[in-house]
Amino acid sequence: MIRLERIHKHFGSLHVLQGVSLEVAKGEALVIIGPSGSGKSTLLRCVNLLVAPDQGRVFIDGVHVNHPSVTPEWVRQQVGMVFQSFNLFTHLTAIENVMLGPVRVKGWDADRARSKAKQLLARVGLAAKADAYPAQLSGGQQQRVAIARALAMDPKAMLFDEPTSALDPEYIREVLDVMTSLAREGMTMLVVTHEMGFASSVASRLVFIDAGVIIEEGRPEEVFQHPKQERTRAFVSKILR
Amino acid sequence: MEVAAATGSGRSWRTSAAASQLVWAAETVVGTILFILLLQFLFGFSIVDASLWEIYWPAFAMGVWGTLGYSAAIVPLSVVLGFTIGIARISRARVVAAPFAVFIDFFRGTPPLVIVIFAFLIGPSLLPARFQGRTLGLAVAVLALAFHSASYQAEVFRAGFQSVPRGQLEAAQALGMGPWQSMAHVVLPQALRLSLPPLGNELAVVIKDTSLLAIIGAIDLFGVSQDVQQNLLFTPGYDPRWFLIMWTAVALVYFVLTTGMTQFLLFLERRYHVRGIEAMSL
Repeated sequence: MIRLERIHKHFGSLHVLQGVSLEVAKGEALVIIGPSGSGKSTLLRCVNLLVAPDQGRVFIDGVHVNHPSVTPEWVRQQVGMVFQSFNLFTHLTAIENVMLGPVRVKGWDADRARSKAKQLLARVGLAAKADAYPAQLSGGQQQRVAIARALAMDPKAMLFDEPTSALDPEYIREVLDVMTSLAREGMTMLVVTHEMGFASSVASRLVFIDAGVIIEEGRPEEVFQHPKQERTRAFVSKILR
Repeated sequence: MEVAAATGSGRSWRTSAAASQLVWAAETVVGTILFILLLQFLFGFSIVDASLWEIYWPAFAMGVWGTLGYSAAIVPLSVVLGFTIGIARISRARVVAAPFAVFIDFFRGTPPLVIVIFAFLIGPSLLPARFQGRTLGLAVAVLALAFHSASYQAEVFRAGFQSVPRGQLEAAQALGMGPWQSMAHVVLPQALRLSLPPLGNELAVVIKDTSLLAIIGAIDLFGVSQDVQQNLLFTPGYDPRWFLIMWTAVALVYFVLTTGMTQFLLFLERRYHVRGIEAMSL
């Protein structure tokens, strides 16, 4: 479903991604771990072209998407994204946040978008908060609205960029539960996270990336318990504790 | 899609905001009347002195009309210009942003009085001879005042745009929205709300700045009052307290105009208030 071929990205003199190749099969959940500054967020952003790769090819559902003939707007409609800092639209209520994409991008009428948004908010357990503004929601609730907002575009795959890192501990569970049920329903997911429990129970594969290079990849329990590389071992021991 | 949420709490909050604004308006009117009564008591004049108003009234009416006219021309023009320049300033293309940075520096760094005189002297010569005349000089000066205010407003709007968190723009893009859609539906609604309080400030200033046009012969409240003051000195049986009456009346008109403008913006601010986009209040 998602295939990255030898992706390179520079920010100035910084070589952030150094030829990363990765494939996520349809219905698979793949977790990326790695130290901060390792390039994992940039890699995720290369998939929906929020960051344009300098070199290499990105395929989504067989389409070569970082090709001049494909618009970034089209690519981003195929792949939903959830951010570390939620990024809900402050001036819109929860349901308006979810409706905005279908109404403005897909051109749906408001009634159709509203009934879809209601369903999605119910699915993330927030039917009662439809008319609340982001400032009136907890971090966990905001992130669940953000997931509903991304799902409203009926994406073929979902990208999660450290979705629980900015959350207070008591709200992490509710967000992971939503993500787990999404994965169980067969959503293709690429997740940057350090939630080991989530990775072990949901991810089919885990990739460790450091300094713009994939160091190791395998089944989550393998990588956690028997890392083959020294760098992986050092990192895993820090986050497992 | 309706932006305002039809929640019960939201509605009652707005009603109480409208009520408090009415109370404030009533307080201002009463306060102003008391202040004028106090002035009259201290300096022994009456603002409704019939013998002065007989002389002053025609000029006063014309002056108020002129000031209203100049404000009505300059305020909308400067807002449109300021908004446009504010957008241009956040452009990543330097060819677009740089010239406007120079524009802003020039008009912000020169006294408006000097700008008005300059525009009056130079403006007409920039056009063919058949357009020459005092009116044209005035028109150019009006334009120049609008530019002056627009340069401040551009910075107000730029600050508004840049206060919208970048992440929200990214989120809009991630939904597949194009640059203009993201601008129209995500950035603009928030930037405008954030710009309203400082914009009210600037519009109050520009209304008062129309008085500078008097120096090049504009017929506005300040100009006509100055003329009347000159003439009064040669009016048989003139009373020095008349000056006090005149300028109290002039001040009152400017006060009403600027307060009306700032109250209108305050109304907009409250009407479109959203929790989470606001100045902090203690």
